[in-house]
Amino acid sequence: MTPADAAPSVGSLLPTSADLIPLSVAGVAVGLLLLWRGFTGYRTAARIGGTSTSRIASIAAGEVRISGTVEAAEVALVSPLQSATSVYYRARISAGSGTDNSTAFDEERAVGFAVRDGTGAIRVFPRGARWDVPWRFDASDDWTGSRPDGLALRDGPAYTAARPDREARIAALLTVRIARDPADPEGSIGGATGFLGASVGLCLGTQGERPRRYTEARIEPGDSVTILGRAIPFGTLGDPAHADLAEGGGLDEQVEAEISADIAEARAAGLLAPDAETAWGNAAIPGFGIGRPAREPAIDPRADAAPLAGVVEAEAAERTFTIPPEALVVVASSEVPLLIAAGAPGAAGERQQTRFLVGLLGAALAIGSAVVLALGLGATLP
Amino acid sequence: MEPLALAAWFGVAVVVVVVAFIVIATYNDVIALRQRVDKAWANIDVGLKQRHDQLPALIDAVRGVLAFERNTLTEVTRLRAAYSPTQPIRDQAATSEATTAAVRSLFAVLERYPQIKAHENVLDLQDEIERIENVIADRRELYNDQVYRFNTTIAQVPAVALAGLFGWKARPFFLAEPVERHPPDTDLEPG
Repeated sequence: MTPADAAPSVGSLLPTSADLIPLSVAGVAVGLLLLWRGFTGYRTAARIGGTSTSRIASIAAGEVRISGTVEAAEVALVSPLQSATSVYYRARISAGSGTDNSTAFDEERAVGFAVRDGTGAIRVFPRGARWDVPWRFDASDDWTGSRPDGLALRDGPAYTAARPDREARIAALLTVRIARDPADPEGSIGGATGFLGASVGLCLGTQGERPRRYTEARIEPGDSVTILGRAIPFGTLGDPAHADLAEGGGLDEQVEAEISADIAEARAAGLLAPDAETAWGNAAIPGFGIGRPAREPAIDPRADAAPLAGVVEAEAAERTFTIPPEALVVVASSEVPLLIAAGAPGAAGERQQTRFLVGLLGAALAIGSAVVLALGLGATLP
Repeated sequence: MEPLALAAWFGVAVVVVVVAFIVIATYNDVIALRQRVDKAWANIDVGLKQRHDQLPALIDAVRGVLAFERNTLTEVTRLRAAYSPTQPIRDQAATSEATTAAVRSLFAVLERYPQIKAHENVLDLQDEIERIENVIADRRELYNDQVYRFNTTIAQVPAVALAGLFGWKARPFFLAEPVERHPPDTDLEPG
């Protein structure tokens, strides 16, 4: 036996031409994808850099860039992973790593909010917006499987009153809750563990021992934002309630048209209830979801009676918006896409420029991978 | 074709796509900037017209009481009449700044006449003109910033290479011609 037979040669440890082909194909694909993202970043950076910031008090209708701090409007959100009050969040829980990676939970949601600068405030309707918000929480289970510090899973509904009603809070604190169902001692189904117990906990439970990664991006009241969009008088906004919410990253026009057609079809077939109260019961009562209904709800006699809102609160709950029709608001439109970016204009533009530079590196990666692919094919072809 | 030659063509194609993208995006960006400058100017024009329309009402309301302040009223009236939206931007800026100064003088004079301040109508007009003055000031700043962005972009690479081809020229700022400034007199010696 010669030494050469006993030990593998250096050449045999290196990847062969056949091994390089799939890698180089992947390199070309990833490089082109990065280049495409870089182009988008270039366009966005130019848009941010090419538009001057308007003062809110003297804003004019049309394309505008505003910058200021976020204020919650009528309703705010509770983020799923850190239970932070916010106006926008994107949260994801993924399990495993590499090719064995799977997403256990993925949610994106936004509600309307106001932006204030030194001169005034303006309302923003986020439907159809593109969000540029970096991760604010990014942590993984440790090697023992313990949850990371800072993880505070949401315990309750996703929506909350922007200005919490003091009386309702006191009533909630003083209320003695009904004992849990013995069959469901943890209350995992719509109980106190609430949201994650009901909708995500089941997913988490099925992930076994694989370590999980938790990521959450959000915009909270008080954060600085830069917004590019179209300012129009509130009175000309067709459906403010619809424009005030965005879920799952926003629905595009085509999907909305399909949904409208489905709704019309269902209505024609008599499958839809004639009004919201028939369809949703208590949930249709203004203020019910935030613990202070405007009217007496019909509830199980064993349940705790919800405190009724006073006259002023009931009026406020029933009146969806208190914006004068001539007041300008910022919305998305087909001519002027709405971009909502975290941070001051300089920081937002810099993130997009970095994306463009990464895109150029992606082009280099694609070209390099193509050369490697060609060499690999040249070596394998007869 | 040999695989290596194909890879070379692929590389050339990627570079061409990147260059073409930058050229097209630059052209579109400059056109968008130009539109924003025009829009910013149109918004100033709206403010100037609003002030032009509001001033006669204020002058009429205070004319009787300010008989001894005729110079102030005459100056405001003269400058109001000098406003012309067809003038070059620099001339309009000079007229606008002079009008703003005259209006501020008028407001200062009004402070000396409490009987006028008691009229709700005059107070409303004063508030409205004050608001319009603030709007004009904010929009002038926005316009100048937008012009700065446009002028800077067309003077920089890569847009400078296209500026000659498409005839892009720097836009004027909304500023009055600079006046000669004299240093303040610091001589404290009497007479």
